[in-house]
Amino acid sequence: MKLNDICKSLLACSVGVGALAAMPAHAEQTTITLARFFGACEADYGKVNDVTKAKGECGIITSLVNQFNATNKDGIVVKPEIAEWGPYYDQLTSRIVAHNVPTIAVMHQSVLGDFVSRKLVEPLDDGFKSVGINTADFTPQARHGVILGGKTYALPFDTWSWLWHLNTNILKKAGLTNADGSPILPKSPDELLAQAEKVKQATGKPYFAWTTANETAAPTRTFFTLVYQQNAQVFSADGRKISVHTAAATNALTLMNKLWTGGYIKKGLDYGATQQAFLNGDVAVDVVGNWTIDDFYTAAQKPDSALHDGYDVVPFANLYSKQAVFADGHSWVMIKGGAKSDKEKKAALTFMKFLWDHDFDWSRTGHLPANNTVVQSAQYKAMPFRNNIIDITRYGVSTPSNVPRQRAIEAIVGEEISSMMLSGKAIPAVEDAIETRVNTLLAGVK
Amino acid sequence: MSTQHIAGKRLGDRLILLAVIVLALIWVAPLIWVFGLSFKPNAELMRHTNVLFSPPFTLKNYTDILGNSSVFRWILNSAIVSLGQTFLTLVLCSLAGYGFARTEFPGKKVLYIAVLAGLAVPEQAVVIPLHHIFADLDLHNTYSALILPRLAAPFGVFLMTQYFKAVPKDIEEAALMDNTPRWKIFWRVVLPLSVPAQATLGIFTFLNAWNDYLWPLISASKPEMYTLTLGLATTQGNFAQSEGIGFLMAQAVFAGLPIFVIYLFFQKYIVSAVAGTTVR
Repeated sequence: MKLNDICKSLLACSVGVGALAAMPAHAEQTTITLARFFGACEADYGKVNDVTKAKGECGIITSLVNQFNATNKDGIVVKPEIAEWGPYYDQLTSRIVAHNVPTIAVMHQSVLGDFVSRKLVEPLDDGFKSVGINTADFTPQARHGVILGGKTYALPFDTWSWLWHLNTNILKKAGLTNADGSPILPKSPDELLAQAEKVKQATGKPYFAWTTANETAAPTRTFFTLVYQQNAQVFSADGRKISVHTAAATNALTLMNKLWTGGYIKKGLDYGATQQAFLNGDVAVDVVGNWTIDDFYTAAQKPDSALHDGYDVVPFANLYSKQAVFADGHSWVMIKGGAKSDKEKKAALTFMKFLWDHDFDWSRTGHLPANNTVVQSAQYKAMPFRNNIIDITRYGVSTPSNVPRQRAIEAIVGEEISSMMLSGKAIPAVEDAIETRVNTLLAGVK
Repeated sequence: MSTQHIAGKRLGDRLILLAVIVLALIWVAPLIWVFGLSFKPNAELMRHTNVLFSPPFTLKNYTDILGNSSVFRWILNSAIVSLGQTFLTLVLCSLAGYGFARTEFPGKKVLYIAVLAGLAVPEQAVVIPLHHIFADLDLHNTYSALILPRLAAPFGVFLMTQYFKAVPKDIEEAALMDNTPRWKIFWRVVLPLSVPAQATLGIFTFLNAWNDYLWPLISASKPEMYTLTLGLATTQGNFAQSEGIGFLMAQAVFAGLPIFVIYLFFQKYIVSAVAGTTVR
């Protein structure tokens, strides 16, 4: 190489280095990690930067992250770390132990209390103020879910609840619709039993599909809803004891047992079979959460569907004096040690603000918004059935946040109720077992 | 032997064959079902899962898997972890087995019993201590963390010990009389004789490593370190058992393919291993 060429090369390098050095500071990347479930759908949405083109939980959250990465001016890169839903919280705990903490993590509000009580979650009040998230905009249910002991520990993303998905074609055959086609809903346990009998007589079909095989969450959520509707609570004020030897709990269990023994609940259904039974027109009512609205609505558009021109959805019908229904929600937290610097913390909060501003997009999944502004927006109300269920953001009842190990409790209560339905365990024995098992669990929590 | 006796024996054989065929069909039916459903659209399976042979069919479940840019990384991780575990297990178990079978040293019996006692310890019982150890060593999300814990293989040591015990001592003694070093005897004489046992142990180790889910779930939290089983599981939506049945089935087929290929090539060894013998 000639001297001249060497000089040219050195000059070119110098220009390159100089150009890099002259780049504005904000072009430096700040990478933050986002631990979440909701699945992966890179094949469909890996390159979608416009969230309005996405559908479903996975599609919308994937597109939201893509859109943020493509549009934010601060050089922030959000790197999703997707985990399987089932063992998600165990994996998150193991990550904390291993000091491999994600910057942001999705967390159910029913689980948040456990992490907060172990002092693992950052309070976010000041951070939210710094990026313009106003906690006063949180819906009542969301506030209850993420504000613990006066401090805000998470950004609420949605509320999900326990709904009745209705096949109004079947209800109509049983004479349980009004002249305008709207469903006639029961207002008491006796009315419910009478309606269920009417459906059985008129169509030969059971009134309900709800999951009774391989799942414990469904019976627990129904049980809690029925208790809350009697203006009652099963947990003590300090959240450390459960009492189900009460009139409200016994009423709830008795009703569930009558529905089961009366043949008003289709038997032997796991989660998938429950949805199949509803989609195929085998039952009048499917008791499940918000997340199926989209699928059922889509199915109802097809002429060959059993739900064609006959799908509706309402909150779990009010059978007692108080308007109430079990509710929970997804939220975003910053676990201590996740943000390694102020810069990362600022980047995480900026991304959270982006998510908050796109709460409407997330509500297209069927989940209810956590943002009051979205709740009141015409855009939200224009979506199918949202007007029917929007009030859940006001009266939805979460398990008190000071009750630890809510997932384990849900499993125990569900197992015992399943024993009542599947093997005829007597109600007093069910109540004894729930109290013994749950209180033993709670006594062991430090 | 009378004609009647021969005819009776033939009938008996045929009945046994028929029973075997029926049992095989019962066993294979769910696999065919899984394979068939993997080519069905998820929306249709949400309504029915008894539509195996009627159209529509789709490849979307497979393109969704292959469309994930991480899937080949996960296959590579699984291959590295499985092959690494297999190789190191064979080395360690062969050496340990030879030591227990052919050498004398103080405390040999106690040590051997201690190794065998490991067979009675379920893996779940040691998961938390293992996690803490690897966390303290800052080794999570590394190949070392995915491979090392599975190298404690009491079954492998037992298998190799028993196998080496069955090798005639005369072969070694002849070599010892020639003053051949023991490691050379092991390497040149005994080890080649143990290939059938090595194959059996190697296949079992590889299959277990490939299918392992629990330990990778706990140790690997960064997507780039997921193994295939773990990575595929993370792609499932929260309600895949209803909304993504075809996708789940395609995942099962996809993850099982390498195992299927291995079975095709090594079925002689696998069958003999399951039957409790090693092929010589």
